[in-house]
Amino acid sequence: MRLVLAAAFAAALAPGLAAAASGKLVIYTSQPNADAQQTVDAFTARHPDVEVEWIRDGTTKIMAKLRAEFEAGAPQPDVLLIADMVTMEGLEAEGRLTAYPEADVSAYDPAIMDPEGHYFSTKLITTGIMYNTAAPMVPTSYADLLKPEAEDRIAMPSPLTSGAATIHMATLTSNPELGWDYYEALADQGANPQGGNGGTYRAVAGGEKLYGFVVDFLPIRNKLEGAPVEFVFPEEGVSAVTEPVAILSTAKNPEAAKAFIDFLLSPEGQQLAADQGYLAAHPAIDPPDGFPPRDAIKLMPFDPAAALADDEKNKLRFVDIFGG
Amino acid sequence: MTAAEAAAARRARPAPRASRLIPGGEGLAFAALLAFVAGLCGAPLLLLLEVGLGDGLAPVAKALESGSVRRALWRSLESGAASALLATGLGTALALAIGLTDVRAKPALVFLVLLPMMIPPHVTAIAWIQALGPGSPVLKPLGLAPELGATHPLYSREGVILLLAVQHSPLVFLAVRAALRALPREMAEAARAAGASGPRVLRRVILPLIAPALIAGFALAFVSALGNFGIPALLGIPARYITLPVLIWQRLASFGPGMLEGVAVLAFLIACVAAAAVAVQGLLARRAKAVLSGPPSAPLDWALGRWRPATEAGVWAVIALTLVLPLGALLGTALVPTYGVDLSVETLTLRHFREIVFGQSVTWRAFGNSVLAAGGASAILAGTALGLGAFLARGGARGRAAGAAAGVADLAYAVPGLVISIAFILAFIRPLPLIGVSLYGTLWIILLAYLAAFLAIALKPVGAAVAQLDPALDDAARVAGAGWGRRLRRVFAPMTAPAAASGAILVFLTAYNEVTVSALLWSSGHETVGTVIFNYEDGGYTTLASAMSAVTVALTALLMLLLDRLGRRLPPGVVPWR
Repeated sequence: MRLVLAAAFAAALAPGLAAAASGKLVIYTSQPNADAQQTVDAFTARHPDVEVEWIRDGTTKIMAKLRAEFEAGAPQPDVLLIADMVTMEGLEAEGRLTAYPEADVSAYDPAIMDPEGHYFSTKLITTGIMYNTAAPMVPTSYADLLKPEAEDRIAMPSPLTSGAATIHMATLTSNPELGWDYYEALADQGANPQGGNGGTYRAVAGGEKLYGFVVDFLPIRNKLEGAPVEFVFPEEGVSAVTEPVAILSTAKNPEAAKAFIDFLLSPEGQQLAADQGYLAAHPAIDPPDGFPPRDAIKLMPFDPAAALADDEKNKLRFVDIFGG
Repeated sequence: MTAAEAAAARRARPAPRASRLIPGGEGLAFAALLAFVAGLCGAPLLLLLEVGLGDGLAPVAKALESGSVRRALWRSLESGAASALLATGLGTALALAIGLTDVRAKPALVFLVLLPMMIPPHVTAIAWIQALGPGSPVLKPLGLAPELGATHPLYSREGVILLLAVQHSPLVFLAVRAALRALPREMAEAARAAGASGPRVLRRVILPLIAPALIAGFALAFVSALGNFGIPALLGIPARYITLPVLIWQRLASFGPGMLEGVAVLAFLIACVAAAAVAVQGLLARRAKAVLSGPPSAPLDWALGRWRPATEAGVWAVIALTLVLPLGALLGTALVPTYGVDLSVETLTLRHFREIVFGQSVTWRAFGNSVLAAGGASAILAGTALGLGAFLARGGARGRAAGAAAGVADLAYAVPGLVISIAFILAFIRPLPLIGVSLYGTLWIILLAYLAAFLAIALKPVGAAVAQLDPALDDAARVAGAGWGRRLRRVFAPMTAPAAASGAILVFLTAYNEVTVSALLWSSGHETVGTVIFNYEDGGYTTLASAMSAVTVALTALLMLLLDRLGRRLPPGVVPWR
């Protein structure tokens, strides 16, 4: 129902805008299934002549698939819509992305857009702290997780598995107040990085652990359904992955790909993201239910190019501290 | 006629008539089998190796210098061997209890022992984590759940080994049971008549005779554990107990341009371990070989007398632990609004089941695809295994070549499914020569990958049966003038059909719930059951994943019942639980 409304809303607001796109458009995305389906449905409602084929999988598997396709010399997708900017920076450095400098990004924070228009952030998926409501201590800052109550009670996704965790690590360790000392202190607390965000969420919601670093929408959405969890935007700020979208240099249908990017960046596309329970990248879109007002969410500074350059070094240091 | 006389007769008549009528029929079939194995199991992996080791073995030496690689290698060996030992013990005990004695409700028992295999390994792991965790829907109402925040007991080396053993004991069970079926009962009965006690007959007659099956079962469990990803990923990572497949996954997650090389090098290491295991198995199997013959006979049912209740209680306890506990947890999770909510009359909801059964068209599509791909693979592989088995049974150049083909199949099985997935993209993304169509993005590529990945499973029981086969039978038929095709149909196939059938069923069950082989090969419209469940789980929809798993188990049970009906028309020993 929400989907039909969103589509109708989109169609009503922008009649006759960029209706020329047609043909087959192949999208590889790491959005959850239902969200990806809604996004595609809303897009095809606007562009009925485009036939969208999409594949959804975790960023790791999508990238593994794409790497094998590169190796075989036959990459399939036109558009990539994945979790983080660092991966996009890497693809850009290899010349795998086509720039689309004409895209309208005037309303957005330039820090989350590629200056040459190789990729475009579509939402803000922040990583903060979640806790089980049975926990004795309610954390309000990263420093709180170093208290004795949290010892051996902390779950966190591993940067070796999760893109969001990689960016969280790069953000926190480059922050002068926290730095690598904080990660070393976490290891002393018995924190045990494992798997992805889903695993961390499960561990805290199921009570195996009481605190965890996790992406915002998992606890916020599930809390609305009655899960015994709570999400905290820590005082120091949150890190964010921005679910960027990009056109591959090997795209077979660049016109439809551009139309897809225009749609995601339009106020309608951004409203759809908010309706799905995400913080939209567009600053004028209200946060969804369960989120604090936008000005209460503090993003910590993050430099994707530097994070890419330091990626290997950071992960090695991480393995040193936590033993892989 | 003795074997020596038969061999002499063979020398006297080197060219049987029928093979003259169909020139090269046997040679043609043999060449086709070898091409099948080389093209599907060998070529894609070689392509991947080319990516990583195109310039020689230096990257392997470099990888072995890394502490994390050496640790992962050791842990793969350790968890593989320990879990295979446990699985062999458990699977054999169950097979002996059900196959040799007069416990009641045998068909139901076999059915229930096999059912845990239907659940994808990562779902099994999640179900066990839920079942023994602080939020356990099974233990919490009983007041037995561990305290909140306590370190989970399964997050340990022992947890990984235990679950791998539970997951793979049905493999051993089926292999041993097939061997028991093929065992002529005369020997055991003769020993009993001569006054030997049950345990003594077991020790001195039965176990030595089924030794090849025990070794095959152990090897199968070991190689399966070596390639398993779901269990060490979910239980090992939190315990920092990283095995090679998990290390490969972490390399995949590094996304960089050098990723494929790193993956290829690690896959090469796993393949080496598997090759060594296969070589050792071959050596042991030759030593343990016991030649006997006889058609599949009615199963033995020794009267246990006063031991029967205890034995039955033991078997049912194993089933309760390996099936009811995790399935209960799964069901408990599928019935609450969101993961973490306690199950009670107020919170109970059926909406996840409604969503899976009526809301998501992908559910039924995935079942259709998995049944087609797994069913097709098991039928084709049963035939392939019979064909290869016929050559395995004989010495000479062809026997050795067939043995080599079986070795290649073992390697393809031991390499983690994700690696097969990548290798198949490299091999099949381009349009095929001659027909000019690419299989990438169709169900066919998944079927082909199943054929490559699971040939070893189909071959193991047949290989064990062949090892027990008395070559005198084949020789006698040959002397009587039967051609190759006729001997295959009338002598070889009837003797090995139960083994081939249990191999086919193993393939079906393994392929039906696998999640790694199709991980990178599925596409919209061509999803498999495993990938759909994994995607729900991965996207944070734990409750939907649990509901889908529960529906999967129910549908599989239905499918097995259907097979059971069909089984009435099939020769004895083909459907394993009849």
